[in-house]
Amino acid sequence: MQAPQKPGIHRGVSTYCWYPLYNVNMDLEDSMEIMQDMGAHGIEILADGIIDGYPYPSKEWLNKWFALCDHYEIVPVEYGHWVESRLYRGRECTVEESLEQLIHDIKLASYMGFTCMRTKLGVIDEILTPTQIWRDVIRKALPYAEKYNVVMQPEIHAPTKLTDQMIMDYVEFIEKEDTQFFGFNVDFGTFQYRAADGMPSFRPFDPSKPEDIIPLLPYIHCCHAKYYNMSEDFDETTIPYVEVVNIMKEHGWNGYLLSEYEGMHKENYNHCMTQVKRHHVMLKRLLGE
Amino acid sequence: MLEMEAVQYKGFRNLYNEAGEAIGFQVAIRFVAYRGPWLSQFRFGNVEVDGEKFGPDKCTFIINGVEYTYDEMATLGRVKWPLKEACMIRVQKPGGLAQGSHRVSVLYKEVASYVPARMDEIPEDGKMFGHSEAQGFIRDMIIV
Repeated sequence: MQAPQKPGIHRGVSTYCWYPLYNVNMDLEDSMEIMQDMGAHGIEILADGIIDGYPYPSKEWLNKWFALCDHYEIVPVEYGHWVESRLYRGRECTVEESLEQLIHDIKLASYMGFTCMRTKLGVIDEILTPTQIWRDVIRKALPYAEKYNVVMQPEIHAPTKLTDQMIMDYVEFIEKEDTQFFGFNVDFGTFQYRAADGMPSFRPFDPSKPEDIIPLLPYIHCCHAKYYNMSEDFDETTIPYVEVVNIMKEHGWNGYLLSEYEGMHKENYNHCMTQVKRHHVMLKRLLGE
Repeated sequence: MLEMEAVQYKGFRNLYNEAGEAIGFQVAIRFVAYRGPWLSQFRFGNVEVDGEKFGPDKCTFIINGVEYTYDEMATLGRVKWPLKEACMIRVQKPGGLAQGSHRVSVLYKEVASYVPARMDEIPEDGKMFGHSEAQGFIRDMIIV
């Protein structure tokens, strides 16, 4: 559906940036207009909260989606969804129950033009290790991902580090299955080395090193360009953006950096808009646009 | 449109039977979040008005026009509470709420499988996530 992606690093936005504002101060169309203003064409939606009638949108809504993408020059990049493991009290979902959720989202994501999915799996511990059945679920979903041409990507999110065993397990799985339809979304919060001013910190900072991303680049199709605090002079004050983005450029990585704001005052429209615009000034400069 | 707050002002009023007697009140809530829960993942503690608590046995929940008991919701893992819809909670309270100002608190959350399971349930005292106070969403509102 989409034209082949040009090589290089492209900018986009996750609707996560503005989630409390939806249905209060703004809607999906407003987000797209703001993205067009910034020349940030790639979008990640959180399907559940964005698609009217999810998981069964109407034809009318889907047609509106296509018209909006066309009008505002939006590229559907990543479809955020969840595979819920603790859907019912007292037991975990079976492989079949998990697949039912996942396959439905693969089909809907593909129909809407997305090429990646942020596939959030249920976890079993404090370091966010996925459920024991994850290999079985993903293996059985791979033929659908291939048929519908979307890549499933767990998000690698702090406190997970890029050198953790979980990442080794994912890489081993990808190589063993010899698949291009499972990868990662690296959330830049994994590189965060200090708390943003005024924000509480729930854990000591033990960040991934920027160079830890190098061996993983072939498996990454898009990233959450996390930001907590953009300063007036367009720097992110908690994440080493210059180092990370330069490494990605030097290694010829192709894909989308999707803005994801996780700082303070998310209910404040002016604040969120100022933060996202500053973020894209920074990204444009880093990418040499 | 929704209001930014979790507890919605819209819909807050007394409920009456056919004889015109107040039998309770209603209050609407939304999830200030990026997704709505599957009904089975909704967790409810209570509605508290001026210190009086109303638990799941005194409440029903209306989502998109369909009324559920809390027990019914627990079985519905493939029915979605849409993010853009408020849930109207109907609370049984003979006589309803007095005219005037009230402090309304609603204690609820959703289960999220992507965080550790220890965060799934609401403790008896409502003190979630290590907080020292019950974590209900509070709003001061007026019954006319």
